Amino acid sequence: MWALSRFFNKILYLLQETGLGLRRGGWLNWAAVSTLLVLLFLVGISIQLSWGVDATVQSLGGQLEISVYLEPERQAVDLQPQVTQLPHVAEVKVITKDQAWRTLLLEMGIEDEEAIQTQLGDNPLVDAMRVKADSTEALGEVAAHLRQLEGVDQVYYGDQVVQQLAQIQEMLRLGSLGITGVLALTAVAVITTTIRLIVMARRREIEVMQLVGATAAWIYLPFILQGCLFGVISALGAWGLVLGSQQLLQELLEKLIAFPFLKVIQADSNQLEFWFLPLMLLGMGVFLGTSSSLIAVRKSTSR
Amino acid sequence: MISQHLSYKPRFHSSWTAIASPPTLPTQPDPGGSLGFYGSSQTRATQAVNSMVSLRGVSKVFPNGSLVLRDVDLEVRPGEFVFVTGVSGAGKSTLLRLLYGAEQATRGTVVVDQVCLFSSEGRRPYRIPPRPLAMLRRRLGVVFQDYRLLANRTLGENVAFVLRAQGLSPAEIRRRIGPTLKMVGLTEKRDRFPHELSGGEQQRLSLARAIVNMPVLLLADEPTGNLDPENSLLVLQILERLNSFGVTIIMTSHDPYLVERAGHRVVRIEGGHLYDMR
Ligand SMILES: Nc1ncnc2c1ncn2[C@@H]1O[C@H](COP(=O)(O)OP(=O)(O)OP(=O)(O)O)[C@@H](O)[C@H]1O
Ligand SMILES: [Mg+2]
Repeated sequence: MWALSRFFNKILYLLQETGLGLRRGGWLNWAAVSTLLVLLFLVGISIQLSWGVDATVQSLGGQLEISVYLEPERQAVDLQPQVTQLPHVAEVKVITKDQAWRTLLLEMGIEDEEAIQTQLGDNPLVDAMRVKADSTEALGEVAAHLRQLEGVDQVYYGDQVVQQLAQIQEMLRLGSLGITGVLALTAVAVITTTIRLIVMARRREIEVMQLVGATAAWIYLPFILQGCLFGVISALGAWGLVLGSQQLLQELLEKLIAFPFLKVIQADSNQLEFWFLPLMLLGMGVFLGTSSSLIAVRKSTSR
Repeated sequence: MISQHLSYKPRFHSSWTAIASPPTLPTQPDPGGSLGFYGSSQTRATQAVNSMVSLRGVSKVFPNGSLVLRDVDLEVRPGEFVFVTGVSGAGKSTLLRLLYGAEQATRGTVVVDQVCLFSSEGRRPYRIPPRPLAMLRRRLGVVFQDYRLLANRTLGENVAFVLRAQGLSPAEIRRRIGPTLKMVGLTEKRDRFPHELSGGEQQRLSLARAIVNMPVLLLADEPTGNLDPENSLLVLQILERLNSFGVTIIMTSHDPYLVERAGHRVVRIEGGHLYDMR
Protein backbone atom coordinates (compact mmCIF):
# COMPACT_ATOMS: atom_id res chain seq x y z
CA MET A 1 0.00 0.00 0.00
CA TRP A 2 2.74 2.40 1.06
CA ALA A 3 4.91 1.27 -1.80
CA LEU A 4 2.04 1.69 -4.25
CA SER A 5 1.30 5.24 -3.17
CA ARG A 6 5.00 6.04 -3.35
CA PHE A 7 5.02 4.66 -6.87
CA PHE A 8 2.06 6.78 -7.96
CA ASN A 9 3.61 9.76 -6.30
CA LYS A 10 6.72 9.25 -8.40
CA ILE A 11 4.76 8.80 -11.62
CA LEU A 12 2.75 11.94 -10.88
CA TYR A 13 5.90 13.91 -10.22
CA LEU A 14 7.50 12.60 -13.40
CA LEU A 15 4.49 13.56 -15.52
CA GLN A 16 4.19 17.01 -13.95
CA GLU A 17 7.85 17.78 -14.47
CA THR A 18 7.80 16.44 -18.02
CA GLY A 19 4.80 18.63 -18.75
CA LEU A 20 6.69 21.60 -17.35
CA GLY A 21 9.62 20.76 -19.59
CA LEU A 22 7.34 20.61 -22.61
CA ARG A 23 5.88 24.00 -21.76
CA ARG A 24 9.37 25.44 -21.37
CA GLY A 25 10.38 23.96 -24.70
CA GLY A 26 7.71 25.83 -26.68
CA TRP A 27 8.49 25.85 -30.37
CA LEU A 28 11.65 23.87 -29.84
CA ASN A 29 9.48 20.84 -29.17
CA TRP A 30 8.18 21.16 -32.71
CA ALA A 31 11.65 21.42 -34.15
CA ALA A 32 12.62 18.23 -32.36
CA VAL A 33 9.47 16.31 -33.21
CA SER A 34 9.34 17.35 -36.85
CA THR A 35 12.98 16.51 -37.55
CA LEU A 36 12.51 13.12 -36.03
CA LEU A 37 9.21 12.71 -37.83
CA VAL A 38 10.70 13.43 -41.25
CA LEU A 39 13.46 10.94 -40.54
CA LEU A 40 11.09 8.22 -39.45
CA PHE A 41 8.73 8.92 -42.34
CA LEU A 42 11.51 8.52 -44.90
CA VAL A 43 12.73 5.37 -43.19
CA GLY A 44 9.21 3.99 -43.24
CA ILE A 45 8.71 4.81 -46.92
CA SER A 46 12.00 3.32 -48.00
CA ILE A 47 11.33 0.16 -46.03
CA GLN A 48 7.96 -0.16 -47.70
CA LEU A 49 9.49 0.46 -51.10
CA SER A 50 12.19 -2.11 -50.67
CA TRP A 51 9.61 -4.60 -49.46
CA GLY A 52 7.67 -3.84 -52.63
CA VAL A 53 10.66 -4.36 -54.87
CA ASP A 54 11.57 -7.60 -53.09
CA ALA A 55 8.06 -8.90 -53.51
CA THR A 56 8.02 -7.91 -57.18
CA VAL A 57 11.28 -9.67 -57.86
CA GLN A 58 9.91 -12.75 -56.14
CA SER A 59 6.72 -12.83 -58.15
CA LEU A 60 8.44 -12.04 -61.45
CA GLY A 61 10.34 -15.30 -61.21
CA GLY A 62 7.31 -17.25 -62.31
CA GLN A 63 6.39 -14.86 -65.09
CA LEU A 64 9.62 -14.33 -66.95
CA GLU A 65 10.10 -16.61 -69.88
CA ILE A 66 13.09 -17.43 -72.04
CA SER A 67 12.35 -17.43 -75.74
CA VAL A 68 14.47 -19.92 -77.68
CA TYR A 69 14.62 -19.73 -81.48
CA LEU A 70 16.01 -22.74 -83.33
CA GLU A 71 18.03 -22.89 -86.50
CA PRO A 72 15.91 -23.45 -89.64
CA GLU A 73 15.20 -27.10 -90.36
CA ARG A 74 15.41 -27.95 -86.63
CA GLN A 75 12.33 -29.40 -84.97
CA ALA A 76 11.51 -28.06 -81.50
CA VAL A 77 9.91 -31.35 -80.49
CA ASP A 78 13.29 -33.08 -80.86
CA LEU A 79 14.99 -30.67 -78.50
CA GLN A 80 12.22 -30.54 -75.91
CA PRO A 81 13.25 -33.58 -73.80
CA GLN A 82 16.83 -32.34 -73.67
CA VAL A 83 15.73 -28.87 -72.52
CA THR A 84 13.43 -30.30 -69.89
CA GLN A 85 16.41 -32.16 -68.42
CA LEU A 86 18.36 -28.91 -67.81
CA PRO A 87 18.66 -27.75 -64.21
CA HIS A 88 16.19 -25.07 -62.97
CA VAL A 89 13.87 -25.53 -65.90
CA ALA A 90 10.30 -25.49 -64.71
CA GLU A 91 8.29 -25.64 -67.90
CA VAL A 92 8.89 -25.94 -71.65
CA LYS A 93 6.36 -24.98 -74.24
CA VAL A 94 6.89 -25.77 -77.92
CA ILE A 95 5.74 -23.40 -80.63
CA THR A 96 6.18 -24.82 -84.07
CA LYS A 97 6.81 -22.50 -86.97
CA ASP A 98 3.41 -23.46 -88.41
CA GLN A 99 1.63 -22.37 -85.22
CA ALA A 100 3.60 -19.17 -85.12
CA TRP A 101 2.92 -18.40 -88.79
CA ARG A 102 -0.75 -19.07 -88.34
CA THR A 103 -0.94 -16.76 -85.35
CA LEU A 104 0.94 -14.09 -87.20
CA LEU A 105 -1.28 -14.29 -90.26
CA LEU A 106 -4.36 -14.19 -88.09
CA GLU A 107 -3.02 -11.13 -86.37
CA MET A 108 -2.40 -9.56 -89.77
CA GLY A 109 -6.06 -10.06 -90.58
CA ILE A 110 -5.81 -12.98 -93.03
CA GLU A 111 -8.54 -15.24 -91.86
CA ASP A 112 -9.28 -17.16 -94.98
CA GLU A 113 -8.31 -20.80 -94.33
CA GLU A 114 -7.51 -21.34 -98.00
CA ALA A 115 -5.11 -18.46 -98.10
CA ILE A 116 -3.45 -19.60 -94.91
CA GLN A 117 -2.82 -23.03 -96.33
CA THR A 118 -1.14 -21.67 -99.42
CA GLN A 119 0.89 -19.19 -97.41
CA LEU A 120 2.16 -21.93 -95.10
CA GLY A 121 4.43 -23.22 -97.81
CA ASP A 122 6.41 -19.99 -97.76
CA ASN A 123 6.69 -19.90 -93.97
CA PRO A 124 9.84 -17.86 -93.16
CA LEU A 125 9.67 -18.55 -89.44
CA VAL A 126 11.56 -21.09 -87.31
CA ASP A 127 10.46 -23.38 -84.50
CA ALA A 128 10.61 -21.84 -81.02
CA MET A 129 10.30 -22.80 -77.36
CA ARG A 130 9.15 -20.85 -74.31
CA VAL A 131 11.14 -21.95 -71.26
CA LYS A 132 10.26 -20.98 -67.68
CA ALA A 133 12.81 -21.13 -64.89
CA ASP A 134 11.95 -22.04 -61.31
CA SER A 135 13.31 -18.74 -59.97
CA THR A 136 14.34 -15.33 -61.20
CA GLU A 137 17.95 -15.82 -60.23
CA ALA A 138 18.18 -19.00 -62.33
CA LEU A 139 17.10 -17.27 -65.54
CA GLY A 140 20.58 -16.34 -66.61
CA GLU A 141 21.98 -19.78 -65.93
CA VAL A 142 19.21 -21.54 -67.86
CA ALA A 143 19.64 -19.13 -70.77
CA ALA A 144 23.36 -19.86 -70.87
CA HIS A 145 22.72 -23.60 -70.99
CA LEU A 146 20.20 -23.16 -73.76
CA ARG A 147 22.63 -21.17 -75.88
CA GLN A 148 25.07 -24.07 -75.83
CA LEU A 149 22.57 -26.58 -77.15
CA GLU A 150 23.08 -27.69 -80.72
CA GLY A 151 20.44 -26.37 -83.07
CA VAL A 152 19.66 -23.31 -80.97
CA ASP A 153 20.01 -20.08 -82.84
CA GLN A 154 18.86 -17.25 -80.54
CA VAL A 155 17.95 -16.99 -76.86
CA TYR A 156 16.11 -14.00 -75.42
CA TYR A 157 14.84 -13.27 -71.96
CA GLY A 158 13.83 -10.26 -69.91
CA ASP A 159 17.22 -9.74 -68.37
CA GLN A 160 16.96 -5.95 -68.62
CA VAL A 161 13.93 -6.00 -66.35
CA VAL A 162 15.67 -8.11 -63.77
CA GLN A 163 18.78 -6.02 -63.89
CA GLN A 164 16.81 -2.82 -63.54
CA LEU A 165 14.98 -4.20 -60.56
CA ALA A 166 18.24 -5.22 -58.95
CA GLN A 167 19.54 -1.70 -59.55
CA ILE A 168 16.50 -0.19 -57.92
CA GLN A 169 16.97 -2.44 -54.95
CA GLU A 170 20.56 -1.39 -54.61
CA MET A 171 19.76 2.29 -55.02
CA LEU A 172 17.02 2.08 -52.46
CA ARG A 173 19.31 0.41 -50.00
CA LEU A 174 22.16 2.89 -50.41
CA GLY A 175 19.91 5.93 -50.63
CA SER A 176 17.86 5.11 -47.59
CA LEU A 177 20.97 4.23 -45.61
CA GLY A 178 22.62 7.53 -46.48
CA ILE A 179 19.54 9.63 -45.81
CA THR A 180 18.82 7.77 -42.60
CA GLY A 181 22.34 8.35 -41.36
CA VAL A 182 22.37 12.07 -42.09
CA LEU A 183 18.87 12.65 -40.75
CA ALA A 184 19.50 10.60 -37.63
CA LEU A 185 22.47 12.81 -36.82
CA THR A 186 20.37 15.91 -37.44
CA ALA A 187 17.57 14.61 -35.24
CA VAL A 188 19.97 13.79 -32.42
CA ALA A 189 21.53 17.25 -32.69
CA VAL A 190 18.16 19.02 -32.63
CA ILE A 191 16.77 17.01 -29.71
CA THR A 192 20.00 17.35 -27.75
CA THR A 193 19.94 21.12 -28.26
CA THR A 194 16.29 21.35 -27.28
CA ILE A 195 16.73 19.40 -24.06
CA ARG A 196 19.95 21.19 -23.21
CA LEU A 197 18.30 24.59 -23.63
CA ILE A 198 15.50 23.54 -21.29
CA VAL A 199 18.03 22.26 -18.78
CA MET A 200 19.87 25.58 -19.03
CA ALA A 201 16.66 27.52 -18.54
CA ARG A 202 16.04 25.56 -15.34
CA ARG A 203 19.63 25.59 -14.17
CA ARG A 204 18.91 27.58 -11.04
CA GLU A 205 16.16 25.22 -9.99
CA ILE A 206 18.31 22.21 -10.71
CA GLU A 207 21.11 23.67 -8.61
CA VAL A 208 18.79 24.17 -5.67
CA MET A 209 17.37 20.68 -6.14
CA GLN A 210 20.85 19.22 -5.97
CA LEU A 211 21.68 21.25 -2.88
CA VAL A 212 18.62 20.03 -1.01
CA GLY A 213 19.24 16.38 -1.79
CA ALA A 214 17.50 15.45 -5.00
CA THR A 215 19.10 12.48 -6.73
CA ALA A 216 20.35 12.76 -10.28
CA ALA A 217 17.66 10.36 -11.49
CA TRP A 218 14.94 12.43 -9.82
CA ILE A 219 16.22 15.59 -11.49
CA TYR A 220 16.96 14.26 -14.95
CA LEU A 221 14.39 11.52 -15.53
CA PRO A 222 11.75 14.07 -16.64
CA PHE A 223 14.13 15.27 -19.35
CA ILE A 224 14.81 11.71 -20.47
CA LEU A 225 11.08 11.07 -20.56
CA GLN A 226 10.62 14.18 -22.65
CA GLY A 227 13.11 12.92 -25.23
CA CYS A 228 11.39 9.54 -25.20
CA LEU A 229 8.06 11.30 -25.74
CA PHE A 230 9.46 13.10 -28.78
CA GLY A 231 10.29 9.67 -30.15
CA VAL A 232 6.83 8.24 -29.54
CA ILE A 233 5.00 11.21 -31.04
CA SER A 234 7.24 11.29 -34.10
CA ALA A 235 6.86 7.55 -34.66
CA LEU A 236 3.07 7.76 -34.49
CA GLY A 237 3.02 10.73 -36.85
CA ALA A 238 5.43 9.09 -39.27
CA TRP A 239 3.39 5.92 -39.37
CA GLY A 240 0.24 7.88 -40.07
CA LEU A 241 1.99 9.66 -42.92
CA VAL A 242 3.32 6.39 -44.33
CA LEU A 243 -0.17 4.90 -44.31
CA GLY A 244 -1.66 8.04 -45.81
CA SER A 245 0.90 8.35 -48.57
CA GLN A 246 0.79 4.77 -49.81
CA GLN A 247 -1.63 5.55 -52.64
CA LEU A 248 0.43 8.56 -53.68
CA LEU A 249 3.59 6.55 -53.59
CA GLN A 250 2.10 3.88 -55.80
CA GLU A 251 1.16 6.43 -58.44
CA LEU A 252 4.50 8.14 -58.22
CA LEU A 253 6.27 4.85 -58.74
CA GLU A 254 4.30 4.01 -61.80
CA LYS A 255 5.08 7.38 -63.38
CA LEU A 256 8.70 7.58 -62.42
CA ILE A 257 9.99 4.11 -62.97
CA ALA A 258 7.35 2.89 -65.39
CA PHE A 259 6.98 -0.42 -63.65
CA PRO A 260 3.26 -0.86 -63.45
CA PHE A 261 3.70 -4.21 -61.77
CA LEU A 262 5.85 -2.75 -58.98
CA LYS A 263 3.59 -2.81 -55.96
CA VAL A 264 3.87 -1.02 -52.67
CA ILE A 265 2.63 -3.88 -50.61
CA GLN A 266 -0.24 -3.17 -48.33
CA ALA A 267 -0.25 -5.84 -45.73
CA ASP A 268 -3.49 -6.11 -43.80
CA SER A 269 -3.67 -5.59 -40.07
CA ASN A 270 -4.09 -9.25 -39.25
CA GLN A 271 -0.64 -10.02 -40.47
CA LEU A 272 2.40 -9.71 -38.28
CA GLU A 273 4.09 -7.83 -41.08
CA PHE A 274 1.63 -5.00 -40.74
CA TRP A 275 2.80 -4.31 -37.21
CA PHE A 276 6.45 -4.67 -37.98
CA LEU A 277 6.79 -1.21 -39.51
CA PRO A 278 5.12 0.81 -36.74
CA LEU A 279 7.01 -1.13 -34.11
CA MET A 280 10.26 -0.50 -35.88
CA LEU A 281 9.52 3.22 -36.21
CA LEU A 282 8.54 3.36 -32.56
CA GLY A 283 11.69 1.57 -31.47
CA MET A 284 13.86 3.83 -33.56
CA GLY A 285 12.10 6.99 -32.39
CA VAL A 286 12.27 6.05 -28.73
CA PHE A 287 15.90 5.05 -29.05
CA LEU A 288 16.94 8.27 -30.77
CA GLY A 289 14.85 10.51 -28.48
CA THR A 290 16.01 8.86 -25.30
CA SER A 291 19.66 8.68 -26.20
CA SER A 292 19.67 12.30 -27.37
CA SER A 293 18.29 13.52 -24.07
CA LEU A 294 20.75 11.29 -22.25
CA ILE A 295 23.54 12.98 -24.17
CA ALA A 296 22.02 16.37 -23.31
CA VAL A 297 21.90 15.80 -19.55
CA ARG A 298 25.06 13.71 -19.30
CA LYS A 299 27.26 16.77 -18.96
CA SER A 300 25.07 18.35 -16.30
CA THR A 301 24.96 15.37 -13.98
CA SER A 302 28.05 16.37 -12.05
CA ARG A 303 27.24 18.24 -8.87
CA MET B 1 2.65 27.86 20.70
CA ILE B 2 5.12 25.11 21.39
CA SER B 3 2.49 22.41 21.20
CA GLN B 4 2.05 23.13 17.50
CA HIS B 5 5.56 22.00 16.92
CA LEU B 6 5.46 18.85 18.95
CA SER B 7 5.49 16.87 15.74
CA TYR B 8 8.81 18.43 14.97
CA LYS B 9 11.19 15.75 16.13
CA PRO B 10 14.48 15.68 14.33
CA ARG B 11 15.98 12.25 14.05
CA PHE B 12 19.38 11.88 15.54
CA HIS B 13 21.26 8.68 15.15
CA SER B 14 18.56 6.98 13.22
CA SER B 15 19.23 3.37 12.40
CA TRP B 16 18.40 4.17 8.78
CA THR B 17 21.50 6.31 8.56
CA ALA B 18 23.67 3.58 9.94
CA ILE B 19 22.39 1.03 7.46
CA ALA B 20 22.01 3.08 4.34
CA SER B 21 25.13 5.16 4.40
CA PRO B 22 28.41 3.69 3.26
CA PRO B 23 31.26 3.33 5.72
CA THR B 24 31.76 6.69 7.28
CA LEU B 25 35.41 6.60 6.44
CA PRO B 26 37.08 5.11 3.43
CA THR B 27 38.34 1.61 3.97
CA GLN B 28 41.22 1.39 1.64
CA PRO B 29 44.13 -0.95 2.21
CA ASP B 30 46.93 0.68 4.10
CA PRO B 31 50.17 0.87 2.20
CA GLY B 32 52.14 1.75 5.33
CA GLY B 33 51.56 -1.41 7.40
CA SER B 34 50.63 -1.73 11.06
CA LEU B 35 50.73 1.88 12.16
CA GLY B 36 48.07 2.44 9.72
CA PHE B 37 45.05 3.92 8.35
CA TYR B 38 42.71 1.34 9.82
CA GLY B 39 43.79 2.08 13.35
CA SER B 40 43.63 5.79 12.97
CA SER B 41 40.37 5.74 11.07
CA GLN B 42 38.78 3.65 13.79
CA THR B 43 39.67 6.09 16.51
CA ARG B 44 38.49 8.92 14.33
CA ALA B 45 35.30 7.13 13.51
CA THR B 46 34.61 6.59 17.19
CA GLN B 47 35.14 10.25 17.81
CA ALA B 48 32.89 11.11 14.93
CA VAL B 49 30.05 9.03 16.38
CA ASN B 50 29.58 11.60 19.11
CA SER B 51 29.84 14.53 16.74
CA MET B 52 27.40 16.13 14.42
CA VAL B 53 30.27 17.77 12.58
CA SER B 54 33.87 16.71 12.66
CA LEU B 55 36.60 18.50 10.75
CA ARG B 56 40.11 17.11 11.09
CA GLY B 57 43.12 18.90 9.67
CA VAL B 58 41.02 20.41 6.94
CA SER B 59 42.65 22.71 4.41
CA LYS B 60 40.96 24.41 1.51
CA VAL B 61 42.88 25.87 -1.39
CA PHE B 62 40.89 27.15 -4.35
CA PRO B 63 42.13 26.32 -7.85
CA ASN B 64 43.18 29.96 -8.25
CA GLY B 65 45.60 29.45 -5.39
CA SER B 66 43.81 31.32 -2.62
CA LEU B 67 44.26 29.45 0.63
CA VAL B 68 41.13 29.93 2.72
CA LEU B 69 41.40 27.32 5.47
CA ARG B 70 44.58 25.78 6.82
CA ASP B 71 44.63 22.72 9.01
CA VAL B 72 41.31 23.44 10.67
CA ASP B 73 39.86 21.21 13.42
CA LEU B 74 36.25 21.53 14.51
CA GLU B 75 33.97 19.30 16.55
CA VAL B 76 30.30 20.13 16.93
CA ARG B 77 28.20 17.90 19.17
CA PRO B 78 24.56 17.13 18.42
CA GLY B 79 22.28 19.82 19.78
CA GLU B 80 24.94 22.50 19.87
CA PHE B 81 24.46 26.08 18.68
CA VAL B 82 27.61 27.48 17.13
CA PHE B 83 28.36 30.93 15.75
CA VAL B 84 31.03 31.24 13.09
CA THR B 85 32.48 34.74 12.89
CA GLY B 86 35.23 36.43 10.98
CA VAL B 87 35.78 39.36 8.69
CA SER B 88 34.35 39.38 5.20
CA GLY B 89 36.31 36.98 3.03
CA ALA B 90 37.64 35.05 6.01
CA GLY B 91 36.11 31.81 4.77
CA LYS B 92 32.89 31.40 6.74
CA SER B 93 30.78 30.49 3.73
CA THR B 94 33.52 28.21 2.48
CA LEU B 95 33.50 26.34 5.78
CA LEU B 96 29.73 25.77 5.53
CA ARG B 97 30.00 24.77 1.89
CA LEU B 98 32.45 22.05 2.88
CA LEU B 99 29.83 20.73 5.27
CA TYR B 100 27.02 20.39 2.73
CA GLY B 101 29.32 19.17 0.00
CA ALA B 102 29.13 22.14 -2.36
CA GLU B 103 32.87 22.52 -2.02
CA GLN B 104 35.49 19.84 -1.58
CA ALA B 105 38.30 20.04 0.95
CA THR B 106 41.86 19.95 -0.31
CA ARG B 107 43.19 18.00 2.65
CA GLY B 108 41.85 16.51 5.85
CA THR B 109 38.71 14.68 6.85
CA VAL B 110 35.14 16.02 6.82
CA VAL B 111 32.45 14.01 8.61
CA VAL B 112 28.87 15.25 8.97
CA ASP B 113 26.22 13.28 10.86
CA GLN B 114 28.44 10.19 10.69
CA VAL B 115 28.83 10.40 6.93
CA CYS B 116 32.28 11.05 5.57
CA LEU B 117 32.23 13.66 2.81
CA PHE B 118 35.93 13.81 2.20
CA SER B 119 39.09 12.26 3.48
CA SER B 120 42.61 12.56 2.19
CA GLU B 121 43.92 9.90 4.54
CA GLY B 122 43.78 6.95 2.20
CA ARG B 123 46.18 6.31 -0.61
CA ARG B 124 43.81 8.22 -2.83
CA PRO B 125 41.49 10.95 -1.51
CA TYR B 126 37.98 9.72 -0.79
CA ARG B 127 35.09 11.79 -2.03
CA ILE B 128 31.48 10.99 -1.21
CA PRO B 129 29.58 9.66 -4.26
CA PRO B 130 26.58 11.67 -5.52
CA ARG B 131 23.87 9.42 -4.10
CA PRO B 132 25.01 9.25 -0.47
CA LEU B 133 25.64 12.98 -0.68
CA ALA B 134 22.03 13.54 -1.77
CA MET B 135 20.84 11.35 1.10
CA LEU B 136 22.96 13.31 3.58
CA ARG B 137 21.66 16.61 2.25
CA ARG B 138 18.11 15.51 2.98
CA ARG B 139 19.02 15.53 6.65
CA LEU B 140 20.54 19.00 6.44
CA GLY B 141 18.96 22.41 6.16
CA VAL B 142 20.87 25.20 4.48
CA VAL B 143 20.17 28.91 4.50
CA PHE B 144 22.22 30.24 1.61
CA GLN B 145 23.89 33.60 1.91
CA ASP B 146 22.38 34.59 -1.44
CA TYR B 147 18.98 33.00 -0.55
CA ARG B 148 18.69 31.13 -3.87
CA LEU B 149 14.95 31.68 -4.02
CA LEU B 150 13.15 30.72 -7.22
CA ALA B 151 11.80 33.93 -8.68
CA ASN B 152 9.02 32.37 -10.74
CA ARG B 153 7.51 30.41 -7.85
CA THR B 154 5.38 31.62 -5.01
CA LEU B 155 6.50 31.56 -1.43
CA GLY B 156 4.57 28.36 -0.75
CA GLU B 157 5.95 26.71 -3.88
CA ASN B 158 9.48 27.70 -2.96
CA VAL B 159 9.13 25.86 0.32
CA ALA B 160 7.32 22.90 -1.24
CA PHE B 161 10.05 22.68 -3.86
CA VAL B 162 12.49 21.21 -1.35
CA LEU B 163 10.14 18.42 -0.34
CA ARG B 164 9.20 17.73 -3.93
CA ALA B 165 12.86 17.43 -4.82
CA GLN B 166 13.21 14.90 -2.03
CA GLY B 167 10.32 12.86 -3.38
CA LEU B 168 7.66 13.43 -0.73
CA SER B 169 3.99 12.95 -1.58
CA PRO B 170 1.79 16.00 -2.27
CA ALA B 171 -0.29 15.22 0.82
CA GLU B 172 2.77 15.12 3.05
CA ILE B 173 4.06 18.33 1.50
CA ARG B 174 0.76 20.11 2.16
CA ARG B 175 0.81 18.86 5.74
CA ARG B 176 4.23 20.31 6.42
CA ILE B 177 4.03 23.71 4.76
CA GLY B 178 1.53 25.29 7.13
CA PRO B 179 3.50 24.79 10.37
CA THR B 180 6.76 25.79 8.70
CA LEU B 181 5.39 29.07 7.38
CA LYS B 182 3.81 29.75 10.74
CA MET B 183 7.13 29.27 12.45
CA VAL B 184 8.78 32.01 10.36
CA GLY B 185 5.64 34.17 10.41
CA LEU B 186 4.89 34.15 6.69
CA THR B 187 1.55 32.34 6.68
CA GLU B 188 -0.28 35.35 5.22
CA LYS B 189 2.06 35.72 2.26
CA ARG B 190 2.30 32.20 0.93
CA ASP B 191 0.93 33.16 -2.49
CA ARG B 192 3.32 36.05 -3.03
CA PHE B 193 6.35 35.86 -5.24
CA PRO B 194 9.84 36.50 -3.81
CA HIS B 195 10.14 39.90 -5.47
CA GLU B 196 6.96 40.94 -3.66
CA LEU B 197 8.63 40.35 -0.30
CA SER B 198 10.82 42.64 1.78
CA GLY B 199 14.46 41.71 2.29
CA GLY B 200 13.75 40.43 5.77
CA GLU B 201 10.82 38.37 4.56
CA GLN B 202 12.96 36.88 1.82
CA GLN B 203 15.50 35.93 4.43
CA ARG B 204 12.84 34.28 6.56
CA LEU B 205 11.55 32.49 3.48
CA SER B 206 14.97 31.00 2.86
CA LEU B 207 15.00 29.95 6.50
CA ALA B 208 11.60 28.31 6.06
CA ARG B 209 12.90 26.42 3.10
CA ALA B 210 15.86 25.21 5.11
CA ILE B 211 13.81 23.82 7.98
CA VAL B 212 10.80 22.37 6.16
CA ASN B 213 12.51 19.00 5.76
CA MET B 214 13.12 18.74 9.54
CA PRO B 215 16.89 18.75 9.37
CA VAL B 216 19.12 17.43 12.13
CA LEU B 217 21.71 20.05 11.27
CA LEU B 218 20.95 23.59 10.14
CA LEU B 219 23.69 25.48 8.33
CA ALA B 220 22.71 29.15 8.21
CA ASP B 221 24.95 31.50 6.25
CA GLU B 222 24.31 35.04 7.44
CA PRO B 223 20.62 34.49 8.11
CA THR B 224 20.48 37.95 9.63
CA GLY B 225 22.74 39.61 7.09
CA ASN B 226 20.48 42.37 5.80
CA LEU B 227 18.18 42.73 8.76
CA ASP B 228 17.56 45.46 11.28
CA PRO B 229 18.26 44.53 14.91
CA GLU B 230 14.63 43.68 15.55
CA ASN B 231 14.33 41.29 12.65
CA SER B 232 17.74 39.81 13.43
CA LEU B 233 16.51 39.00 16.87
CA LEU B 234 13.38 37.44 15.42
CA VAL B 235 15.42 35.13 13.23
CA LEU B 236 17.71 34.30 16.13
CA GLN B 237 14.70 33.38 18.22
CA ILE B 238 13.43 31.05 15.52
CA LEU B 239 16.80 29.36 15.36
CA GLU B 240 16.94 29.06 19.13
CA ARG B 241 13.51 27.48 19.17
CA LEU B 242 14.68 24.95 16.59
CA ASN B 243 17.76 24.36 18.71
CA SER B 244 15.58 23.67 21.71
CA PHE B 245 13.96 20.85 19.73
CA GLY B 246 17.40 19.34 19.32
CA VAL B 247 18.48 20.68 15.94
CA THR B 248 22.18 21.37 15.74
CA ILE B 249 22.77 24.87 14.43
CA ILE B 250 25.82 26.38 12.82
CA MET B 251 25.34 30.00 11.92
CA THR B 252 27.69 32.57 10.49
CA SER B 253 27.35 36.19 11.45
CA HIS B 254 28.98 39.60 11.10
CA ASP B 255 27.03 41.10 13.89
CA PRO B 256 29.11 41.24 17.09
CA TYR B 257 26.17 42.55 19.05
CA LEU B 258 23.99 39.60 18.10
CA VAL B 259 26.74 37.08 18.76
CA GLU B 260 27.46 38.63 22.12
CA ARG B 261 23.84 38.72 23.10
CA ALA B 262 23.06 35.14 22.11
CA GLY B 263 25.59 33.62 24.44
CA HIS B 264 26.29 30.49 22.44
CA ARG B 265 29.56 28.91 21.43
CA VAL B 266 31.57 31.10 19.06
CA VAL B 267 34.37 30.14 16.69
CA ARG B 268 36.30 32.68 14.68
CA ILE B 269 38.09 32.27 11.38
CA GLU B 270 41.15 34.42 10.99
CA GLY B 271 43.95 34.01 8.51
CA GLY B 272 42.75 30.55 7.63
CA HIS B 273 42.84 29.33 11.24
CA LEU B 274 39.88 28.54 13.42
CA TYR B 275 39.86 29.88 16.98
CA ASP B 276 37.46 28.86 19.70
CA MET B 277 36.33 32.13 21.29
CA ARG B 278 33.73 30.90 23.74
N1 LIG C 1 35.15 29.57 -6.00
C1 LIG C 1 36.15 30.32 -5.51
N2 LIG C 1 37.32 30.42 -6.16
C2 LIG C 1 38.32 31.14 -5.68
N3 LIG C 1 38.27 31.81 -4.53
C3 LIG C 1 37.14 31.75 -3.82
C4 LIG C 1 36.02 31.02 -4.27
N4 LIG C 1 35.04 31.14 -3.37
C5 LIG C 1 35.52 31.93 -2.40
N5 LIG C 1 36.78 32.31 -2.65
C6 LIG C 1 37.63 33.13 -1.81
O1 LIG C 1 37.70 32.56 -0.54
C7 LIG C 1 37.67 33.54 0.46
C8 LIG C 1 36.57 33.21 1.47
O2 LIG C 1 35.32 33.35 0.87
P1 LIG C 1 33.99 33.15 1.70
O3 LIG C 1 32.83 33.32 0.79
O4 LIG C 1 34.07 31.88 2.43
O5 LIG C 1 34.07 34.36 2.69
P2 LIG C 1 33.07 34.74 3.85
O6 LIG C 1 33.80 34.63 5.13
O7 LIG C 1 31.81 33.97 3.71
O8 LIG C 1 32.81 36.24 3.52
P3 LIG C 1 31.47 37.10 3.71
O9 LIG C 1 31.36 37.43 5.13
O10 LIG C 1 31.68 38.29 2.86
O11 LIG C 1 30.35 36.27 3.21
C9 LIG C 1 37.50 34.86 -0.23
O12 LIG C 1 38.72 35.50 -0.26
C10 LIG C 1 37.05 34.50 -1.61
O13 LIG C 1 37.60 35.40 -2.53
MG1 LIG D 1 29.92 34.36 3.18
